Amino acid sequence: MADVREEILARLVEVLATIPNIRLARRNNLSHTEDQLPAAILFDGDEDTDDASDASMRPPLRPTMVTMTPEIVIGEQSSEAGSDLSTLRRELIKRVLTDTALNETIVKTGRNGNGAIRYLGCQTDFGDGRQLNGSLTARFLFKYALKPQEL
Amino acid sequence: MDYSALLYDPVFDAIGVPATFNAVSITVIDDTRPVTNPAGSGEVRSVGPGAFARIPELAAAGIARDAYIDATLAFNGRTWTVRSYELRGNPNGEDAGEVRFLLKAADGG
Repeated sequence: MADVREEILARLVEVLATIPNIRLARRNNLSHTEDQLPAAILFDGDEDTDDASDASMRPPLRPTMVTMTPEIVIGEQSSEAGSDLSTLRRELIKRVLTDTALNETIVKTGRNGNGAIRYLGCQTDFGDGRQLNGSLTARFLFKYALKPQEL
Repeated sequence: MDYSALLYDPVFDAIGVPATFNAVSITVIDDTRPVTNPAGSGEVRSVGPGAFARIPELAAAGIARDAYIDATLAFNGRTWTVRSYELRGNPNGEDAGEVRFLLKAADGG
């Protein structure tokens, strides 16, 4: 049994926990408090294939390529929340894109695999709390093979 | 009708706390509230520190409106910086009303 989607998401949480100064690294956590900041929260991503346009006689159990787009929210509260988020963003992108387990072991499923990892962009939100409260939502794309016979 | 004498003063006498505004002694009502800020698909729970003060008391102490922003306000064991304020006028005019200070903590506060 090999569920690549779940392996990616589980590994991403481990990667988030390695970002310097992060107090909370969790998955699908909808609400946290200021005392847990800086926090890095992974939200499971949507998954898409191109199979809707593939009406060939291809057997349904043949492998197909899938793209998943998880979101990672980085939150911080300080008088310099903006620059703090920039630092955390840099560490996040670097760690996700260069992680060996994600690149070689999971997504590409071997050195000759055709999977891919991309950083798509980010959005920011700011608000007033005890101090300036900021969050940055980074979007990544993971392309990998879905092999129904291995599920 | 004198709102200060009939309304504000009894309330401040009952629930007001001593404070210092840039080292000047005044009385405020602690109005710290919970706030929730959006964080992507989630949210962060924090507090919105605030305090009410009587504008006539501030004026009598020599504190003009242009001194509000960035002032240091200490009460109830914490020290804050005024980041903004809201004027709460009354039938006697805005200069006879209250001001709600919107506060923020310094780093580590």
